[in-house]
Amino acid sequence: MRCNQFVLLITGALSIFTPLCVHAQSSDSSLPTSLEPNNQAKGATESATESESKTDTVKQTEPALERETNALQTPVQWLQRLQSLISSANYQVSFVQTTVGKETVPYLWRHGVLDDGTEVEHLNLQNGPGRELIRVDGIVSVFEPDTQPYSIRSRFINGPIPNILLHNPQKLLESYEFVLVGRARVAGRPAQQIRIVSRDNTRFGYQLWLDEESGMLLKLNMLDLQGALLEQIQISTFSVTASPSPYFARINPSSLPEPIMMASSQSRAHGWEVNYLPVGMQEVKRDTRRLALTGQVVEYKMYSDGLVDVSVYVQPIEDALGGDIALRNEVSTFLTLKAGKAQVTVLGEIPLQTAKAIATSISAVNNSND
Amino acid sequence: MMQQQEKLSAFMDGEAEDDKIIDAIKHDAELQAKWQRYHVIRGTMRKEASVAPEMDITASIAAALADEPAIVAPKESRWRSIPIIGNVVPFATQSGQFAVAASVALAVILGVQHLNQPAPSQPFMTAPTAGPQGGLAPVSLEQTRTLPRNDMNEVLEKKRKINALIADHEQQIKLKQVQAEEEEKASDDTNRP
Repeated sequence: MRCNQFVLLITGALSIFTPLCVHAQSSDSSLPTSLEPNNQAKGATESATESESKTDTVKQTEPALERETNALQTPVQWLQRLQSLISSANYQVSFVQTTVGKETVPYLWRHGVLDDGTEVEHLNLQNGPGRELIRVDGIVSVFEPDTQPYSIRSRFINGPIPNILLHNPQKLLESYEFVLVGRARVAGRPAQQIRIVSRDNTRFGYQLWLDEESGMLLKLNMLDLQGALLEQIQISTFSVTASPSPYFARINPSSLPEPIMMASSQSRAHGWEVNYLPVGMQEVKRDTRRLALTGQVVEYKMYSDGLVDVSVYVQPIEDALGGDIALRNEVSTFLTLKAGKAQVTVLGEIPLQTAKAIATSISAVNNSND
Repeated sequence: MMQQQEKLSAFMDGEAEDDKIIDAIKHDAELQAKWQRYHVIRGTMRKEASVAPEMDITASIAAALADEPAIVAPKESRWRSIPIIGNVVPFATQSGQFAVAASVALAVILGVQHLNQPAPSQPFMTAPTAGPQGGLAPVSLEQTRTLPRNDMNEVLEKKRKINALIADHEQQIKLKQVQAEEEEKASDDTNRP
């Protein structure tokens, strides 16, 4: 019978949760002390050189000579070149995304600027029933199998390549250091390699390769602190053309679904604050609400450095997991700790020790709402 | 109906005796849905699919969850009694369709697992065939079967809570981007002459 196959499929899906470690440490003393000094170096320009020596364990040794010969262009200039190409050129790109422990996923990505100045973009998941995203200027329409098509207001398609890298790389300079590494050959083309490392070495690192001729992104690696590959995006072919792809002529904007209006989130005082954050991370959101799947009430804050988003949840202990658990879900870390009458959960694409430093830095604050 | 299903599945495997089933599929929305689901399942089995098909299977489960008052809309009184909530936005009004679309991927794991709880004992049934060569005693069989089952519910409950948080995190990331856009747009509009 068919249903037996279904069971198999589900057990396969469950195996993505690989326990990293299940331990019972929740005391503040377990905060890794090496992370504290970095916090104080926040904002200072010297922190670049300071963290340089710290991050040496991650970076391979850097040939100083090569750096000088390429000093004609800074890594930021390379990324600005990518940014202008991404937003103004007509191009078609085929790439695959590979994540640790997962199948490789192929995508087709097109972009064009029409005669009337309208920016159009299309991202298509190429395997299985697919997933299709079409952007016409500031509206992205999402077509997924078995789900009503819907549109949201967004000036970027939320695809596998981080948008901030493509559209706003300067914003990352506060949190990350860009290093020009040298030349390499990727997808059969001469390329320039750039390494992106967090200034305080608390986040995963990236390596990207840009086409020397056009400036297009050719490859993007995401690495953990030991330098092991977590996720890779590899472009197989791309073309930059004078006129937009004929595909875009077939899109009729009036037939796309109307954008959904988002309910604005209310802000409400929380009885706790996070005292440690990696350099450049800021609070971008806070609210109190219910989880969609269980209906549990959580107090929620989101922090972001632009590239990585970290969620922090605080729940009453009786609702929560009632234990200390650390998991790796694909490239995200899931860490939950008991803290008195509350359960603190930190979730995001950050190393476990950073998640732990954030979780253990939470302290209660007095406010009138208590 | 059952007969139709068998035919449908035979047709998918290229073993249908007649082509009446094609007409049946054309006119029966339920069969059409099944047809699509079978393909998604088969695609997944063959490792052709990755993220999207999970969405596909789960949309129906998500819809079922939405109708389930116990899960999605807990009784007011229970929530009022917990100190940390003052006036929480009810889930239903938060972000509607978008919220469901974002969270279904993980819902499937929970829903189906509950239905298939006795399944883990099944593979052991094949063990006796290896009997002649190996030393597989029936006693050890009993042990492996009973031990994990005692805390099965607890483990499932934990998994459910973990999944709820992961799904929420992923949804928040999507929402964050959209909200940032809307705010930016609003400020753009006010800045413009």
